[in-house]
Amino acid sequence: MKHNEYKQLLQLSLFGELKSDQQSTLKEHLMSCEECRAELEDQKNLLELISGKKKSEVDEKVLSAARYQLRGALRSEKNNTNIFGSFLENLSQLFTTPLKFALTSAVILLVGILIGSQFISKSSNDQFANQNNGDNRFASFNEDISISNLRFIDSDASDGEVEFTFDASRPVRLKGKVSDPQIQGVLTYAMLNEQNPGSRLNSINAMDIKQATNYDKDVENALITVVMTDKNPGVRREALKLMSKFSYDENIKNALLYVIENDTVSGLRIEALNSIIEASNNGHKLDNEELNLFRNKFQQDENPYIKLRSRTILQEYN
Amino acid sequence: MPLNDTELIILAQKGDQSAFEELVYRYDRSVLSIALKYSVNEDDAKDLYQEVFIRVYKGLKNFRFQSEFSTWLFRVTTNVCLTYKNRSKHHLRVSINNEFDDDENEFTKKEEIAYEGSSPEEISAAADLGEIVNAAVESLSPKQRMTFILKHYEGYKIREIAEMMNCKEGTVKKYLFDAIKNLRKKLTPVYA
Repeated sequence: MKHNEYKQLLQLSLFGELKSDQQSTLKEHLMSCEECRAELEDQKNLLELISGKKKSEVDEKVLSAARYQLRGALRSEKNNTNIFGSFLENLSQLFTTPLKFALTSAVILLVGILIGSQFISKSSNDQFANQNNGDNRFASFNEDISISNLRFIDSDASDGEVEFTFDASRPVRLKGKVSDPQIQGVLTYAMLNEQNPGSRLNSINAMDIKQATNYDKDVENALITVVMTDKNPGVRREALKLMSKFSYDENIKNALLYVIENDTVSGLRIEALNSIIEASNNGHKLDNEELNLFRNKFQQDENPYIKLRSRTILQEYN
Repeated sequence: MPLNDTELIILAQKGDQSAFEELVYRYDRSVLSIALKYSVNEDDAKDLYQEVFIRVYKGLKNFRFQSEFSTWLFRVTTNVCLTYKNRSKHHLRVSINNEFDDDENEFTKKEEIAYEGSSPEEISAAADLGEIVNAAVESLSPKQRMTFILKHYEGYKIREIAEMMNCKEGTVKKYLFDAIKNLRKKLTPVYA
């Protein structure tokens, strides 16, 4: 066995990965090789130094926070599916039975035209192919439809055929009152899913109108999710503001407590604190969970205003 | 009698949310432990944790029991970690004397020390040993770092790591040897 191979055995032995015969071979070699003994000592020292992290258990508080956030994200995931599903369902319900027949005929006709334009018109096919050559991620092959996420299942064209999937999307224009569940559905979907924080923020603001409005339960759930999980403080702030229009219930209480306990932005903690105080002024009796949090904030929060407000509310309740 | 993984998965595939949560709670401590050691800070670790279970939630309907659930879960975990770009991008550099700027929601770096190439005196004066070790581990390539964390901190066997990372045992050994070599290079001034 070469010297380097012994060095590899040596490393594996430190990780407890040697079989007994390999262990004996190494032991025998170490007795006669000073260089490998020094190497062993050096690596032991290195691993001992790095083992600082090894004994640390997962902090229960971090685990609880991670689980809490996950529950919010899962709820959002579920809402997305429900909202999108119900949006499509609502759209389909717009059409009465005679209209459905007409629509079916129109769809068949459109599909026919589309197939015709794709397979008969060589020039448009060439154009599409040329565009795809430049950039497979995004290509427009029609005035309305955009193609993205093209993924090959079979890119080997040796048999004359290829197979791929892609996403086809078409812009949709929607106008209606904020009270319309369909409008709320789309805006709720956007506040949870838009990549651009400005779009998420605008979606929330669009629902924040002066007139009394009936909001869908999904809107409340989405706002709670945004308040707890959105990475952008501005978006979280707008969601908190809109949430204050909803009647104070257990879910909203939990979300506000979460913000006060965990949000790193003091302005948002204050906003959440004020929402609870406002609920208390409007007749909600603070329970032990809320009072304990105020006690904790009075003693430990780094922000003097939060300390002061917590103390005031505690004094009022004593 | 508690349900086994297979029974929970079947229920979760039918939409039973509590079955999915039960499944999560069986393994999430290990997932978070890996994420905490792989990532730079707790927030990143929580993001990784969430990403793992959201992917599992979405993918569970297609789970066909061709492997153990835990094997699949940890494979997702390693994939998520390896493709994750941390928020603060503190690789190789560790900020000391950080002050949290509350309203801006970002760290104000008063002073940054790059450990690589510093003398032992400078290093010991600049920050504590834990930070130096963390910086060295963070400076490894994603695959070396993941292999090293799974082996050294989490105690998995090389065979198990190969399953998680979907590669051969020999490849895992290679990552491990390279990781040790790089760590020695960076940490020799501290422990030698």
